Amino acid sequence: MMEKDNIYKSRRDFVRKAGKVLVAVPVLALPVVLSTKITTAGTVWQIDPYKCNTCGQCKTHCVLTPSAVKCMHNYQMCGYCDLCGGYLRQGARTISTGAENQMCPTGAITRKFVEEPYFEYTVDKDLCDGCGKCVKGCKDFGNGSLYLQIDQNLCVNCNECAIARSCPSGAISRISDKVQYIPKEKI
Amino acid sequence: MIKLDEKDLKILRGIGTAAGIFTLIVALTMLLSLIQMKALDPLDNPAIVSVKEEFDKDHENAVKAEQVRALDLMARKAYFSSRRQLETGSWLLISGAIIFVLCQRLIAGSEKNLPSVPGEKTDQVSEKARYAKYLAGAVAVLTLGAIVSSFILRKDLPDLSGRRTAKAEKSEKKKEKGETSAYVSEETFFPDPVNFPFFRGQDGRGIAGGTDYPVEWDAGSGINIKWKTSVAMNGKSSPVIWGDKLFVTGAEGNNCEVYCLDKNSGDLLWTAPASGLPGQPDAPPDTDHDTGIAAPTAATDGNSVCAIFANGNLVCLDMDGKFKWGKNIGTPENIYGYSCSVIIHEGTLIVQFDSDEKVSVMGFDTSTGDMKWETLRRGRSSWSSPSIATFNGITQVLINGNPEVASFDPATGKELWAYEVLSGDVAPSLAINSNYVYAVTDYSRLAAVKPGPGPSIVWEDNMFTSDVSSPVANNQYLFIATGVGDLACYDAMKGDTLWTHYFPDQFYASPIIAGDKVYCLDRSGLMHIVNAGPEYRLIAESPIGEPSDCTPAFSDKNIYIRGRNSIFCISQN
Amino acid sequence: MKKKLPYILLFVMLAWHAVLFAQERFPRPEFESGYVYPEHQMPADRAPVWEYIDLAVLIAALSVAAWLALKKRSRNGLVWLSVFSLAYFGFFREGCICSVGSIQNVALALFNDTYSIPLTALLFFIIPLLFALAFGRVFCAGVCPLGAIQELVGFRTVKFPRVVESIMISVPFVYLGLSVLSAATESQFLICRYDPFVGIFRLNAPYTMAIFGALLLITGIFVNRPYCRYLCPYGVLLNIFSRFSKKHLTISPSECTNCRLCEDACPYNAILPADLARPLVEPEKERKKFLTWILLVPVFAVAGAVIFSSLSPVLTGLNSDVRLAREIRAEAEQGIPAISQAALGFKEAGTTNAELFEKEMHIHERFRKASILMGIFLGISFGISLVSLSTRTRRTEYVPHKGKCFSCGKCFQYCPVHLNKIKNDKA
Repeated sequence: MMEKDNIYKSRRDFVRKAGKVLVAVPVLALPVVLSTKITTAGTVWQIDPYKCNTCGQCKTHCVLTPSAVKCMHNYQMCGYCDLCGGYLRQGARTISTGAENQMCPTGAITRKFVEEPYFEYTVDKDLCDGCGKCVKGCKDFGNGSLYLQIDQNLCVNCNECAIARSCPSGAISRISDKVQYIPKEKI
Repeated sequence: MIKLDEKDLKILRGIGTAAGIFTLIVALTMLLSLIQMKALDPLDNPAIVSVKEEFDKDHENAVKAEQVRALDLMARKAYFSSRRQLETGSWLLISGAIIFVLCQRLIAGSEKNLPSVPGEKTDQVSEKARYAKYLAGAVAVLTLGAIVSSFILRKDLPDLSGRRTAKAEKSEKKKEKGETSAYVSEETFFPDPVNFPFFRGQDGRGIAGGTDYPVEWDAGSGINIKWKTSVAMNGKSSPVIWGDKLFVTGAEGNNCEVYCLDKNSGDLLWTAPASGLPGQPDAPPDTDHDTGIAAPTAATDGNSVCAIFANGNLVCLDMDGKFKWGKNIGTPENIYGYSCSVIIHEGTLIVQFDSDEKVSVMGFDTSTGDMKWETLRRGRSSWSSPSIATFNGITQVLINGNPEVASFDPATGKELWAYEVLSGDVAPSLAINSNYVYAVTDYSRLAAVKPGPGPSIVWEDNMFTSDVSSPVANNQYLFIATGVGDLACYDAMKGDTLWTHYFPDQFYASPIIAGDKVYCLDRSGLMHIVNAGPEYRLIAESPIGEPSDCTPAFSDKNIYIRGRNSIFCISQN
Repeated sequence: MKKKLPYILLFVMLAWHAVLFAQERFPRPEFESGYVYPEHQMPADRAPVWEYIDLAVLIAALSVAAWLALKKRSRNGLVWLSVFSLAYFGFFREGCICSVGSIQNVALALFNDTYSIPLTALLFFIIPLLFALAFGRVFCAGVCPLGAIQELVGFRTVKFPRVVESIMISVPFVYLGLSVLSAATESQFLICRYDPFVGIFRLNAPYTMAIFGALLLITGIFVNRPYCRYLCPYGVLLNIFSRFSKKHLTISPSECTNCRLCEDACPYNAILPADLARPLVEPEKERKKFLTWILLVPVFAVAGAVIFSSLSPVLTGLNSDVRLAREIRAEAEQGIPAISQAALGFKEAGTTNAELFEKEMHIHERFRKASILMGIFLGISFGISLVSLSTRTRRTEYVPHKGKCFSCGKCFQYCPVHLNKIKNDKA
């Protein structure tokens, strides 16, 4: 009886050890199999402002409220126009800072007179919610100096970005964290 | 297990319940506010929109401006405060939950639960057998469900049976390029070899009748140039031919005329004035550069010659130049200048009227000049010309518009079908074969439309699009010449690009298929003749020596080309 | 203002054409007043070092968990470790990246050349599995933040009938198969999308996920660890790996006296009772049954492959490109207007329909191959579970089921041997 038990135990032991090796090998082999595809850098999500088609989903699809996407302004590209396509809403009748003329729903863009006929436009990041209306206006009627970027300090770096999942132009992609932003430069 | 006495437990129970209720209330409040936000986004609500609209109507009104500002401020405040509420709410929620959980754990932990010996020991073997049965049963049900759903949900899917065979077909095609696909239908359109009665030939299809058209000529040395002449006033309209007569129109300012030449000798047979009609505007409408008002091509059916000009003058003459009727149908003003050519079908003169105010198609009786019908079209002005084709036994007038390709009954003007295809400035006319109608314009696409009823786009491409030149198609191939200088050949049924070639000049004139060749005239007046087949082969390049934007006419083995200043007849000596 | 109107109109008219040309419309201003351009500042970078800190904390926490469960045998210690893990991996690091989700990163890397897996993600996948191979599911015990939050709210226990339980335990296998399929075909990260607790960790979630998470937690008060038992795909792997561990948590610190006091101790039904008084059965019949089940395993594998291969066209709906192609096709064939954002973006971009449909076909192919593998996996799993249900093991002691046991240590206090040991130690 004891012998049978012993044989039984050793058989079970063997099965266990064999099984251990069987499952351990593929897992330990993973780093070898993937060796060419491993990177020591981290990854972040990034919007390519040249591909972005200003659909407005950056505001609504981010898992965070408010969205981690903010509007950036490249002053060097800006035309400093009086009639700003990103500041004034379509159909604005006058050119002034009145709320009735503003495109931005949260009032995040401020307009400051510089000299005739130039005006400086600044985006307040705390008020901006990433809706992209100003970006669209600037792209359609201006120089395209306003553009959306993911603020990596607000972004929680989801394993799959919910905005990227539904971006219609495929502008958001996962990239190495070496260069985390694409500042839109002159075309 | 922390030992707590009754008093502590009571306090803990109290705190726990309070925290639990608190958490629940906060959760419900947040849920309600979320539902409210979903229903009415403060930044986007109809109240603001309507107030802004009110203000737009009366934008000098400062009071209304103030209203907008006040409402906007309220909206912004609401938005930001709701965001803050959400944040605080989340913190309150989590704190309440933590306190609740902590209390509950302490209470549960202090409950003395002595383990007791459970009842009868269950038989492991029979239990396991039971699990196995139920597991197998559940998996069987799920499998059945999976199989059933895989059939039900198939309707949304593409035709997968063709998947492998399509792949095989494609690789086969790559090997034998010369072979035509089995499903290309027989050609049914064989235009008259003598008459070239409309812009781009019979029915406006871009296909010339007859064969053996010359391929080589040179205006400089005079090789194969039968005659060269000019008319009193120039224009961008293309020549049309009936019998031995060639008709062109010309204009200077607001004065317009129709000319008839003998196609064999080039002699001017008659000149008919088309100005001075009642209702004619005092000044001609603005047109692009040197386009002038004689851009639309005339039309003839052997009984009459009809012409329209960009100032709205519409005239109908008999074959000897005698005035039959004429009127001004209103000036079609649009940004580049009116250029839609007219076409005649069974005694009805069809006019595509495209202006900034009105976009429509009209039918006039060629003998009396009465407007038989007018059908309004949707969209904005275009600069294309109508064509005639028969699909499913129904003869129809087809127009390439912005945004719709539309089809009308030539007798009654009733719209037969329409389909949104393009956007932007639509100047090229349609290419038509027995199966599809092809619409293209720059910055939009080249699309093959299956004509209605129930029209749809069969294939499309946007690599080679033209802005002015119209493409031409037979049942096998579609040829397109672009404003950049590309000439491309597509498989007419499937849309594959068979070949392309870049010429260093632009194409405005539309390519014409004559026999087995395609004649493409570039803006410098050089005609590129290529093989109308699946492989690029340049047959010849022949110049007329002066710039040209007009589409050539083909008649009786001769080619008639109108340049900026002269009209040429090319004939093989 | 009236003077400006024609300019505005002209502007709009010109702009319509200008939309088509992506060039600078308005030239750079020439400032005369000495205006200096403000800096075009980007926000600060995200610090990647935290991922490596997480890795170090992971290894430390796993080691502590193993020690607490196996050596020190302290349930309290494990509870406090859970609190720490919830606080650190959950609320502080906001639950991302986690080992459960790392399955998708590995699947994506294995089947796609365009993705490079970060070393941290790979190690997050491997390390808890290695610990499971050595010590059992200590990851679940006190390290996984999802497990921790469920563990901490589990202060009442209600048990499902065991039959229902045995069926619901199969769900994680399907979930694992689907999420690997979805990740490998670059379609979606299902595990991340439907993670119920990450919204609670971030204190910020789409309200559907927040409600789902809250409901799951409330359920978790009674049906303890619902996500771990009935949903967690990583748990499938841990289950398999843990079965081969030599050193595993034991209920009794020394020998089991078969007192049966721990039989109802485990809320997860993971305690295997001893069965000394086994009735005798014909060994021949049993051996035949056992062999039949073993031989049926490849049959189930093939059946699974066939079923899932035929299901694969339906599964392609997971992929957004396929959904777009279906929408465009519905528009072309049935005239249903394609107005989703993706469709509008597609039309703007100018890829041809033919190209889109070709891509769709390609994705269908990928799904077909992947579904076959998924079917084989599920078939084999089903077959093996039937095999294990037909085997008879002789147990002389009460031991935890190595696959199902979360090493949480709730059973420690039920064992009198344990109590005796403490008493004797004190004495």
